[in-house]
Amino acid sequence: MKRRSRFAFAACAIAGALTLAACSSGGGTSSSGGSSGGSSASSSNAAFNAGVTKVVNPSTKKGGTLTFALSSTPDSFDPGNTYYAWTFDMTRLWATPLVTYKSCPGACGNTLVPGIATSLGQVSDNGLVWTYHLKSGLKFEDGTPVTSADVKYAVERTYDRSVLANGPTYFPVLLADPKYPGPYKDKTGNLTSITTPDATTIQFHLQSPFPDFNYVASLPQTAPVPQAKDTGSNYQLHPLSTGPYMFQSYQVNKQATLVPNPNWTPNEDPQVSQLASKVVIDLNVNAADLDNRLLAGDVDIDAQGIGVQAATRAKILSNPNLEKDADASPGNREWFTYINTKVAPLNNVSCRQAVEYAANKTDLQTAWGGPYAGGQIATTLLLPGMGGYSSFDLYNAKSDPTGDLTAAKAALAKCGHPTGFTVGASYRSDRPAETAAIQALQASLARVGIQLQLHGYPSGSYYTDFAGAPNYVHQHNLGILMGGWSPDWPDGYGMMDELINGNTIAPSGNTNIGELNDPAINNMFTQAANPSLSETQRNALYGEIDKAAMAQAVILPNVYATNLLYRNPAVTNVYTMTPFGMYNYGVMGVSS
Amino acid sequence: MPIEGRSLGQIAWRRLRKDRVAMAGGVIIILLILVALVGPHLVQNPNAYNSNLINPTFSRPYGPWGGISLAHPLGVEPVTGRDMLARVVVGAQYSLLIGFLATVLAVVIGVFFGIIAGYFGGWIDALIARAMDVFLAFPLLVFAIALIGVIPNSAWGLSGNTLRVSLLVFVIGFFAWPYMGRIVRGQVLSLREREFVDAARSIGARGPYILFRELLPNLVAPILVYSTLLIPTNILFEAALDYLGVGLIPPTPSWGQMLSNAVSNGFYYIDPMYMIIPGLAIFITVMAFNLFGDGLRDALDPRGR
Repeated sequence: MKRRSRFAFAACAIAGALTLAACSSGGGTSSSGGSSGGSSASSSNAAFNAGVTKVVNPSTKKGGTLTFALSSTPDSFDPGNTYYAWTFDMTRLWATPLVTYKSCPGACGNTLVPGIATSLGQVSDNGLVWTYHLKSGLKFEDGTPVTSADVKYAVERTYDRSVLANGPTYFPVLLADPKYPGPYKDKTGNLTSITTPDATTIQFHLQSPFPDFNYVASLPQTAPVPQAKDTGSNYQLHPLSTGPYMFQSYQVNKQATLVPNPNWTPNEDPQVSQLASKVVIDLNVNAADLDNRLLAGDVDIDAQGIGVQAATRAKILSNPNLEKDADASPGNREWFTYINTKVAPLNNVSCRQAVEYAANKTDLQTAWGGPYAGGQIATTLLLPGMGGYSSFDLYNAKSDPTGDLTAAKAALAKCGHPTGFTVGASYRSDRPAETAAIQALQASLARVGIQLQLHGYPSGSYYTDFAGAPNYVHQHNLGILMGGWSPDWPDGYGMMDELINGNTIAPSGNTNIGELNDPAINNMFTQAANPSLSETQRNALYGEIDKAAMAQAVILPNVYATNLLYRNPAVTNVYTMTPFGMYNYGVMGVSS
Repeated sequence: MPIEGRSLGQIAWRRLRKDRVAMAGGVIIILLILVALVGPHLVQNPNAYNSNLINPTFSRPYGPWGGISLAHPLGVEPVTGRDMLARVVVGAQYSLLIGFLATVLAVVIGVFFGIIAGYFGGWIDALIARAMDVFLAFPLLVFAIALIGVIPNSAWGLSGNTLRVSLLVFVIGFFAWPYMGRIVRGQVLSLREREFVDAARSIGARGPYILFRELLPNLVAPILVYSTLLIPTNILFEAALDYLGVGLIPPTPSWGQMLSNAVSNGFYYIDPMYMIIPGLAIFITVMAFNLFGDGLRDALDPRGR
């Protein structure tokens, strides 16, 4: 290039860049950029937050393709090996458990109703035996009849954590022989605490009474699995369907396609529908791209159900045309930070309490999305509205929301580290809000000399390989670990047991990441299981457990989550389902 | 008065000095290096939160232009309220260092193997060309994810960000060398048939002499040009590794990480300055290296005036 023209080129380029900078305004919300959120001709009752209390766009119209998208990958599509609220919601499309939740908006959705069982379980007088009868005429997608042996096998296979590492651990804890190694290792005997007197009856024999057992039966782990067709850790590639849809194809990490299951009838589970003629789940879609496609109508629903990104939130809240298709839904979730009790010096409760005092709760709330799309500052484990909840505040989050540094320094002195200490911290690097939250925590703890060394991990394997593997946690000195919890079922046991009961600590897929093993707390859980207690007495116990755990400072609550969800106006029968804290994926269809 | 003969270096320097645009590029590069070295001591703490400057409903700075004020001449970051000027200046250190060192590594490895492959041909060429194919096709993301689980807090006497920077330079440079290698190999393949190579051989020159004293000076032009293109690529590469959790440890700022945060988390929509500022920084850096590299090539060209 000749010298003179090169000079001119350079000058033009610089001028161009400066002009571009000058054109930008700080706000960017005045023009909504052409996306009007689709025509609203057919959705007559769409309004902001309508989906929280009623069914939006009700319709029985069949046909069309329902498209879900996810910004990462599922931990598993195997109903026996998953532990996320969105998969509990989604797997009902191909796996029907013994009992399930009623499909209706609001608090109504917390009611249990029969799934493949004819009714909720009948319990024996001593509270130790629960009996369920299966409906007649149930079939798998290939026409083979479903029997009680299939339900028994479905539960048995979840015992082998070396093959199926995810999933809740209620069955080994509750049933009478917890040492059963699973059918992959034990080919001869089988789980004696589940009996099948005939092909349509199944009985669970418990170690001690557990009044909440119907909730356990509603877990996807009780959806039948035929032993002959079980391929262990590969079963997730094509679980045999007992729901309205079955897998047509599944490219791992890319896309799953489901088509209607011809061997399903609504009688098998009236809580779900078979409206769309195809269901597509796109995986590993970039989070910001997902939001754009959601607003443009290419994607119907964000399957993860934890809300839109910051930019989309701004677009939606400042444009009434988009706002009418959004819901600020109670997320049935708390975002929090685990504080591990085995990693020094956090093995001393005063050091943990220093973390609780010093954290800047307002900054954490802003990182999660602010009071509107993030949630209210949390001070307890129980969610507001749950039995036993009371709004106690041990660490002055309400009086000193930016952190009580005086109390923090006093606690540090008490545990022998007056100038602070250094410890590792983990978070999921593909979750922007969590990344922002751990940095906010890092900055606030640095004020009292607590230095966090951050380690980011992918969410798909966070619980199996990293934060949820106690050996890994100890080896890498991870004392602070980001996490969240959506209760397995909406009561104190569902919210707290897997988080703080010493009996649930597992070598992989661990959710008691604080590794709390306090005999007093474990004991209170046992007491709460006494079948002779009334609802009020049980809830009072849960309240006590909440306070005791918070005093141990194994969890630093961040926010009671609300999610800003967006629904494509073309989707029918949209409403938030309270036990899952996101839209009910089992009843949706597509119009147009 | 005797006329003093000028050496090649002196001739090149004179030519370069006359090239205004190239000198401008060179000055900018020196300024950038100065900013990276001295700047961090002059700006405020890049990790200090200023939550009072952020509107919590939208996670966006109050005020236009990303919250520019006397206290914060380039505004503040969304969500955190951290000072942008400080983050850009401290980020300059990391981005320039990683971009530059990774490029140096890629160039050294690429030139070395490229020359050998191009000159010797035969099975040596076949071997090296296949190696280049393997590296180009390597699933880098898989490798990076595998790294996550095994990076210890300290290794080989390094720890924290020093370890991370070294790892990043190694990973990025190690996977970028085939781009340089292929170009150099192609150039050498054409050059080795030229007369000056035959002439050198005829006076008894052996392989290494021909490679490094005859061929290499003729390769300076393409090497320089592609090096200046490789630097920004490597800066952005680091941002991608950041997203996977293998990059610099938060809250360490880097231009690539800010840009990536602004683009992939959608902040560009609610606060465009958060994208424009690091973007401009990268742009200016690229331009400077490009213009200077252009001028350098012209100055060193044996056929130039």
